[in-house]
Amino acid sequence: MNIDMNVMQGFMEKVQQMGQMDVPSKLSDVERVDTARRVKLEKMDAQLAVDLDACVHCGLCAEACHFYLSTKDPKYTPIRKLDLMKRLYRRERSSNRWLYRLYTKDITIEDLQEWEELVYDSCTVCQRCSLICPMGIHIASGVAIMRSAMRAADLMPVEVRLVGQEQGEQGTLFGLGSEQFVQAIEELRKTGLEIPLDEPEADILVLSSVMDVMLFRDTLVSTIKIMNHVGARWTFSSQGYESANFGYMTGDEAWQCAASKRVYDAALACGAKTVIVAECGHSYPALRWDGAELLGKPLPFDVLAPSEFLGREIQAGRLKVKPIGKQKKLTFHDACKHARVGGVVEGPRIVMDALGVDFRETEFHGIENLCCGGGAGNFLINRGMPLRQKAFELKMEQFDATGADAVVVSCDSCMMNFMGGAMMHQYEKPFESLVALVGENLATQR
Amino acid sequence: MFVQFVEGPLWYFSATVFVIGVAVRLLFALRMGTATPLSKPRGSASQGAIRAVFSRFVPRREFRPRMRLEVIAGYAFHLGLFALLFFAAPHIEFYKDYIFGFAWPAMPRWAFIVVSEIAFAGLLVLWLRRMLHPVSRKLSDAGDHIGSILVFMVMLTGCLALDQSHESLRVLHFFLAELLLIYFPFSSLMHTFTFVFSRGYLGASFARHGVKA
Repeated sequence: MNIDMNVMQGFMEKVQQMGQMDVPSKLSDVERVDTARRVKLEKMDAQLAVDLDACVHCGLCAEACHFYLSTKDPKYTPIRKLDLMKRLYRRERSSNRWLYRLYTKDITIEDLQEWEELVYDSCTVCQRCSLICPMGIHIASGVAIMRSAMRAADLMPVEVRLVGQEQGEQGTLFGLGSEQFVQAIEELRKTGLEIPLDEPEADILVLSSVMDVMLFRDTLVSTIKIMNHVGARWTFSSQGYESANFGYMTGDEAWQCAASKRVYDAALACGAKTVIVAECGHSYPALRWDGAELLGKPLPFDVLAPSEFLGREIQAGRLKVKPIGKQKKLTFHDACKHARVGGVVEGPRIVMDALGVDFRETEFHGIENLCCGGGAGNFLINRGMPLRQKAFELKMEQFDATGADAVVVSCDSCMMNFMGGAMMHQYEKPFESLVALVGENLATQR
Repeated sequence: MFVQFVEGPLWYFSATVFVIGVAVRLLFALRMGTATPLSKPRGSASQGAIRAVFSRFVPRREFRPRMRLEVIAGYAFHLGLFALLFFAAPHIEFYKDYIFGFAWPAMPRWAFIVVSEIAFAGLLVLWLRRMLHPVSRKLSDAGDHIGSILVFMVMLTGCLALDQSHESLRVLHFFLAELLLIYFPFSSLMHTFTFVFSRGYLGASFARHGVKA
């Protein structure tokens, strides 16, 4: 994948600087605890209650977690991340609270501070733990509530908070706003690309992402080429172009809603019946599954992940690719937010089949994939780097076992995490974007 | 005096605590409700819920090597306990006299002994794992151990009372079973009932997203 290493370096430095930019919370410790308690109680529902009542403390969930598997540290056991939730449930909501209060400790600021690492740094909300749990406990949904509570109590990694805040309150990401996006489109138009922007009417609204604009230009260019190739009536929007939704990752509903609303309004403005998000894993569930819930109404358009769209267009015969041939050995990394959280598994396989490559699955793939270790905003957390690198070692083993020449990825966060891991481990297997791979191998005629 | 207390008031008290305690605990949890999803589903939530309740009895292929011991011990204990609870001759007699008013065929004595040994082995392996494995040791609380000890003691006294040669053993078994009934609604033994709901909710959630889990 061609990227400008100076831009990459600048991005990494910016993230590192964020780690030094924290400001003390305006909330007192008592207010923080009260706020966290309030949010948790507000979001507690029947599913979480039966989950907390069903746990038998077997710890099997640890056997599915990339952070436990790579460190063998019991503190990373997924269900343990809901301990504070369980204590609160027992003291405040359970039918037995009159009894549990006698011996169940209330939540303290020290507890919350300890749990910050557990629900952010060491959990990517990948949901793999729910696949193994004999009781069927949805641990990730509890962690998402924990994140909301921690965010409200100003207890979260500063990097994730600053990025979420920037997007939620200013509408920009890493300084990229509407003006910069339009500039990037203008630059690409000068290369001869035909790029619809702010079309008054379109069937498909295509989103981009700050990563594609700043770092992964090949992916952005390929997106444009593919959309033109399939002959769709499509457009970018200067008002709703960003796929990434850091509100989703921070647990701040207002920020998440603001980001989704921009896309919703842009889709309505052009009458789009389909919105295609960028290769940005979390952006898919943030809009596809959470969008309607946060906006309080069903979305009047379909939301597709890029791989889902590519697979659909290939099957429909609208997207033709040049076969690469079996000499190219490729494997694919399923992003958790696409496969296990989003239900998008077939699309990438349809693409690989159409490209005619020697496609090799990793030991765990599809909904069973191992997370890259950097999802849910974790790739931004500076102090979490050593832990993410341990998780990356598991991925390296799996990639190497396939004997593939390169790893194809369809998620910017995974890509960033893999590139960071590859640099640290001097791992030489290249990582390629699925969209870029297709864009570079489009058949000359449909 | 103690025998009369155990077979009379304590039995009615423990049975009442068990039935009402379980019902109220479930009711309090379920009445919290869940939001009605607004996103367009990719699959049927109800089908996913039903599938998950049953499919979770068999671990997914990719995880089997990591949980072989737990699955075998878990099945040995749970199936063994189920067989003892509902097909041991003295229990059927008890259900006939105290609860249902009718009986059903019991397993033979040799089967009782075999099943007991299987159940004991399963329980002991699970309990040892709870105490020895770093993960489950860190997760487990006093309640988990109290539950294991109570179940073990009930099973042990039940086996000792099988021949009904000592009335005191039968009464002790009955007394411990009553303690277990009282303890049940306040403990993680509630998973006996809550697993249906937790699996169902998870299956529904995954199925809406088009994921068979």
